[in-house]
Amino acid sequence: MFQSFRLCMAWLHTWFGLMLGFVLMVVFFFGALSVFDREIDRWALPESRFQPQPMPSFDRVLRPAFERMQPSKDDIALLDGRVHGPLPERFDTVRHWGAYTTHRDPVVAVFAGYEVPKAKDPEETVWASHALDPRDGRVLPEGRLRISSQFFYPLHYSLTLNWKDLGTWIVGFSALMMLAALVSGVVMHRKIFREFFTFRRDKSVQRSALDLHNLTGVVALPFHFFFAFTGLVIFAGLYFPVAHTQLRSLHELSEKIEARETGLPHERAGVAAPLASVDAMVAEAQRRWAARGMAGEVGYLGVQHVGDANAYVSVYRAGTDRVALTGEGIHFKASTGELLREDPPRTAVDSVNEFLTGLHLQHFRHWLLRWLYVLGGLLGCVCIATGFIFFVEKRKQQHAKVGSPGSRVVDALAVATVTGMLIATTAMLVANRLLSEALPDKGDWEKTVFWSAWALALLHAFARNGAVALGRRSPAWREQCLLAAAGAVAAVVANAVTTGDHLGRTLADGYWPVAGVDLSLLAMAAIALLAARRLGRVGQRTAARGTPAAIAGASNG
Amino acid sequence: MAEPLLLLGAAAIAALAGLAWLALAMEVHWAQVHGLRARATPARLRTAGAAALALSFALCLGADHVSMAVLVWLMLLAGSALAIAMMLSTRPQWLRWLWLAR
Repeated sequence: MFQSFRLCMAWLHTWFGLMLGFVLMVVFFFGALSVFDREIDRWALPESRFQPQPMPSFDRVLRPAFERMQPSKDDIALLDGRVHGPLPERFDTVRHWGAYTTHRDPVVAVFAGYEVPKAKDPEETVWASHALDPRDGRVLPEGRLRISSQFFYPLHYSLTLNWKDLGTWIVGFSALMMLAALVSGVVMHRKIFREFFTFRRDKSVQRSALDLHNLTGVVALPFHFFFAFTGLVIFAGLYFPVAHTQLRSLHELSEKIEARETGLPHERAGVAAPLASVDAMVAEAQRRWAARGMAGEVGYLGVQHVGDANAYVSVYRAGTDRVALTGEGIHFKASTGELLREDPPRTAVDSVNEFLTGLHLQHFRHWLLRWLYVLGGLLGCVCIATGFIFFVEKRKQQHAKVGSPGSRVVDALAVATVTGMLIATTAMLVANRLLSEALPDKGDWEKTVFWSAWALALLHAFARNGAVALGRRSPAWREQCLLAAAGAVAAVVANAVTTGDHLGRTLADGYWPVAGVDLSLLAMAAIALLAARRLGRVGQRTAARGTPAAIAGASNG
Repeated sequence: MAEPLLLLGAAAIAALAGLAWLALAMEVHWAQVHGLRARATPARLRTAGAAALALSFALCLGADHVSMAVLVWLMLLAGSALAIAMMLSTRPQWLRWLWLAR
C-alpha cells in the first residue's frame, strides 16, 4: 500500500494526529492547568483563600464533621435502579471515613462511604464528600465548584464524559495513539539532530509551523512519552479490568487472604464498638515515621468499618519528599488504638508503579518542577496546534483550487480547539467571579458558561473562515485571540473587584496561589495580544495577494 | 548541602550553556551567531557542551533526591533547548560571548 516505511508512518502520523489532536489538545492544556489545581481552586473559592494547614485533630474537628455527613441528593439519585424497592432516605452504616490533604491545601477533602440497604450488589457504596475548613470544622457550602480539581482535572483525564467511562477510554486511546505518533514522528523527521535547534521564523508559515512542531515535539519528547505512558499506567485498572471481571472470584479471595496476612479485617464483625482517640494513634504513627527518618505530615487518614468491633484506623504520610507516591501506612485497631500493622517496604514492582504514578500525579513539594511540568504541557499544546496549522497550510491552496472543504473544516476546528478553549476557560473564570455566591448550583452555571462559550467559539470559527476556502487565513484566529485576551484581563479585574484581592495586595502579602493565577492570566493576555498583532500584520500582507486562481477555485466550489 | 534554589539556578545556567555550545558546534548555528568568522573546532564545542550538561545533572543531584533530580534535569533540558532555539532565531548575537570567534 505504501512505497516505504517512512510514507506509511507519515500517513499514520498525519491522520491519527489530526483526529486525536483535538482530544490531546484538551488533555494537554487542562493537564497543564491541573498542575496548579489547588491554586486555581483558591482563586475560584475566595472563602478558602488562607494558608495551607496540616491535617486537623481528628477527635475535635474531623469526627464531629464526619458524624454530621450524609450523601447528597444527587449521589443518592445515582442509586436509582440499583436497589430493591424505593431509594433509602438515610444511610447509617458507615463503611469508610477518609480525610485527605496536601501541602498545598488549605481545606481538607473529607468523604464518607455508606452501605446501601437492600442494594442489588452487596458491595454497593454511596459516597458523601465535602471540603472542610480545618480551622473550625465547618464544611464549605455545597453547589460550589472547585473549578480546577473538580472540573479542569476531570476534563484532563475523562473529558467529563462519564457515561460508561467513555471519556476515559477516548483519552486512553488518544494517549496510546500519541505514543505511536511520537514514534512515527521521529521516523518521519529525517534531520532530528541536525535541526534540533532550528526555528526559521522568517520562512513561510508552513515552514515555520513545521519547525515549531518538530522543535516542541523533540525537546519535550521524554515528557510527552512519560506522561502518555504513565497516564495509561494510572488507568490500567480501568483499561484492563480483569480483577473485577474475569478474575472476580479470585479477586475476592485475594482480598481475604490479604486481610488475613495483614491482620486488617476485611469484613465487619457485626458487633458495635466505640472509637478510641485517633489523635493518639496519629501521634504514635508520627513517632514511628520520625524513627525511620521521614517527614511526618499526615496526608491521608481513614477509618474502615466505622463503629464496628473490626474497625481500624489507617494513617498515611504525605510523601512530599519523593516522586514516588508512597504512604508508609500505619494501621491501628480503632476501639483500642493497638498497633495492627506497619506497611512493609515496597517490592520492586510496587516501587516502579509508585514512581510512575507519582511522576504523573506529583504530590511532591517542588515548585520548579511543577512549573517545568506546565511548560511541558504547554509545549505539547504548541506541538499539536502547529501540527494543525501545518496540515491546513500544506493543503489549503490545493483545496481552494479543487473546491474541497477539507482544510476549511480542519482550520475552523483548530481555531475552536486552540483559541476557543482559552475563551471558554476565561469565560468560566469570569462567570465564577460575577455569578452571585447565593445562586444554588452555581457550579453548574459555571460549567454551562464554559460549554456555551466554547460552542459559540466553534460557531464563530465556522462562520468566519470563508477565507480559508480562498487559500487565505481565517480572521477567526485573530478575533479569538483578542477575545481570549479580553477574557483573561476581565477575570483579573473581576477578581480584584469582587474579592479585593488585587495583585497589589496578593503580591505584597506573598499570597502566591491567587497572585500566580492572576499573573498567569495577564501573561496569557499579553501573548494572545502579541499573536493578534502579528496575525493582523500578516493578514494585511496576504490580503493584498489574494490569487485570482484561488478565488476562481472557491467560486467553483 | 547548599541552598537548593541556588543549585537549581546553577543547573539551569549550566544546561543553557551546554545546549548553546552543542548548537554552536553545528555549522548553521555558528554562522547565525558569528557570521563568516572562522569556526571553532566542533569537537571542542561538543566536549564543552557535554561537560556542562553533566555538571547540570550533578547540580540537580545535589539539590534533590535522585528520582526527582532526573525529572528536573530532563525538564530543564527541554526548557533550555527551547530557549536556545528561540535565541538563535531572534537574538543570535546574545550567544556570541559564549564562545568567542578568533
